[in-house]
Amino acid sequence: MKRFFHSVRYFVISGFKSKNLVFWLILFPIVLGTFFKAAFSGLYESDDMFIKDPIKTAVAGESTIFKAAVDAMEQSGGLPLEAVYTDDETALQMLKKGEVAGIIYIADDGRLSLSVMESEIQQQVLKGFTDSYNANAAVITDIVKSGKDVTKAAEVLSQGGYTKEVSMKHGNSDVYEQYFYNLIAMTALYGSFIGVQIGIKNQANISALGARKNCSPMPKSLALLADFTGGCILQTICMVICVTFLAFVIKTDFCGRLPLAYLAAIVGGLTGVSLGFLIGAVGRWKEDAKIGISLIVVMPLCFLSGLMVGNMKGIMMNIAPWFNKINPAAVISDSIYCLSVYESLDVYFEKIAVMLITSAVLCVLGIMLTRRRRYASL
Amino acid sequence: MENTPETVVKISSLVKRYGDLLAIDHLDLQINKGEVFGLLGPNGSGKTTTINCLLSLLSFDKGSIEIFGKEMTPTSYDTKRKIGLIMQNIAVFDELTVYENIDYFCGLYVSDKAQRKALVEEAIKFVGLDEFTKFYPKKLSGGLLRRLNIACGIAHKPELIILDEPTVAVDPQSRNKILEGIQQLNREGATVIYTSHYMEEVEQICSRIAILDKGKKIAEGSCGELKQLIKNTETVNIELPSLPQNVHSALASLPHVYEVRYDDELLTVRCSGGRHNLIRILDVLQKNDISFGRVYSELPTLNDVFLEITGKELRDKE
Repeated sequence: MKRFFHSVRYFVISGFKSKNLVFWLILFPIVLGTFFKAAFSGLYESDDMFIKDPIKTAVAGESTIFKAAVDAMEQSGGLPLEAVYTDDETALQMLKKGEVAGIIYIADDGRLSLSVMESEIQQQVLKGFTDSYNANAAVITDIVKSGKDVTKAAEVLSQGGYTKEVSMKHGNSDVYEQYFYNLIAMTALYGSFIGVQIGIKNQANISALGARKNCSPMPKSLALLADFTGGCILQTICMVICVTFLAFVIKTDFCGRLPLAYLAAIVGGLTGVSLGFLIGAVGRWKEDAKIGISLIVVMPLCFLSGLMVGNMKGIMMNIAPWFNKINPAAVISDSIYCLSVYESLDVYFEKIAVMLITSAVLCVLGIMLTRRRRYASL
Repeated sequence: MENTPETVVKISSLVKRYGDLLAIDHLDLQINKGEVFGLLGPNGSGKTTTINCLLSLLSFDKGSIEIFGKEMTPTSYDTKRKIGLIMQNIAVFDELTVYENIDYFCGLYVSDKAQRKALVEEAIKFVGLDEFTKFYPKKLSGGLLRRLNIACGIAHKPELIILDEPTVAVDPQSRNKILEGIQQLNREGATVIYTSHYMEEVEQICSRIAILDKGKKIAEGSCGELKQLIKNTETVNIELPSLPQNVHSALASLPHVYEVRYDDELLTVRCSGGRHNLIRILDVLQKNDISFGRVYSELPTLNDVFLEITGKELRDKE
């Protein structure tokens, strides 16, 4: 056992001294995470801008019900417009001068109609407002006519619809968080670079180091196990650094389930190491070629899980729904994403199980390829 | 071939093919305890393949290999514990320092930390890397890197040390240091197998030599024994501006002379046995009033042995 721990220790030491590993597994995720944060912060600010300023709108016509509804919405902070009550002619002048974004006309039956000069986001918001008002007013009118409780009708109007939205979400619904979860998945799969080292450095027909190790009195199975253990420790440390950075520096929201996010990232890292081990075990290409193959495998998996294009996972769901279930990058990011979606942990543990099974399959294949005792050629 | 208690390595009728290529052709070798055994041959003669079969890295088609009286297999861990390997290719971790590299490889053989520390320090001292213990391999010169490669292979004090072309691309100073080191290890009791295509090195350190060509052992014995296998005992070289035909004939008819060549203003006369060959040759030149420049006589080398047996040079002209 002493020789086993000796090997594990040196695998971890050599890993942390490897500039490539430190860059791809620690620095790159930090840089990319910071970049995402900077990019999305700009988007958040843009979003805020749309709702920050109420849209100045001329209102032509009189309706006590409309006034009451607008006042109520204004008090609750849900009014997207600033109403300027005036007559038709003045309203038209104001619109032409660009002083208002549109004119809301109140018909005799209480229905609203909208007049705008151009069709931009502000006008779209006004259109939504008038449509919603008309629909709700029709419902209230029907209820009143049927002689039912008017208070209920007022509730419907104030809630803004007939159906009640029941959120299954445990936490927030920020769509940009998904990018950070994909970043964790990418870092986990970059663990394949570590796995490649395990495959290469234990095979006599690929590296001189492998030959030297094969000539030592340490059984090959023990040497492989030691390196794999070292690789997993190394990757675990990298994943912990990555998630810690995202959680405490970038302030990524893990919905109060940070320990589970750590666990998902660590198990994902194990999948990455296993994937690399298999790549390292296949064929007799040199180390650089195998690292290249790892990138060729990992980057498309990350792309298809939505690292570069946010809705890619949805697109894949339409094209090949099964792919998201086996794509390690998608499984890893989903395992963290589902923490913010479901109160229950069933889906989370299902994803963890998929990752563990994938790792086991990759490891077994890797061992089958490296287990040979003598080589036909070196 | 008898398997005596002194025998450390016994290879019997070893055959190794790479497809249609016969890499080792019924090779028999016996290496005894305390020997520095040289495997000499040109590139592609089967030296490294023999070593790899010996270490159970390569599968082979026929034959058997015994080390320390036991059949060598990939799981012969007790036997492997007694073997030190210095490979042709540098096998060290770029990310570990000199000390860490030696400690890592020594740790695969020796579990006890205190014992290992002493062995590592001894190995560092032995190869003269005392000042470079904190250096990373990339910062070392070619010669120092070779010495590190050796230290990684010998730190655990093996009884059998296998060195496969350890001096390739090494400066003369490091080469001498390496060769002296090997002799010292041998004096301390280690049996050494040394493969090289540098005949001077093999002549210098090996007590017994096997010459390989195309996977076959073409000769075996001590350096002196090998030289006795050929008729050349002395080669006389004389720089001459010209050599008339009658003088050429006169030289060729001298006793013990079996070959006279004149190329690029250099006269080469090969003799087989006899004494005072040089005096007789110079006498012929003087009598024919031939002026000459530099004169030197060479005793036969292993290259001559190889040349005479195979008809080709041991090492490609560089």
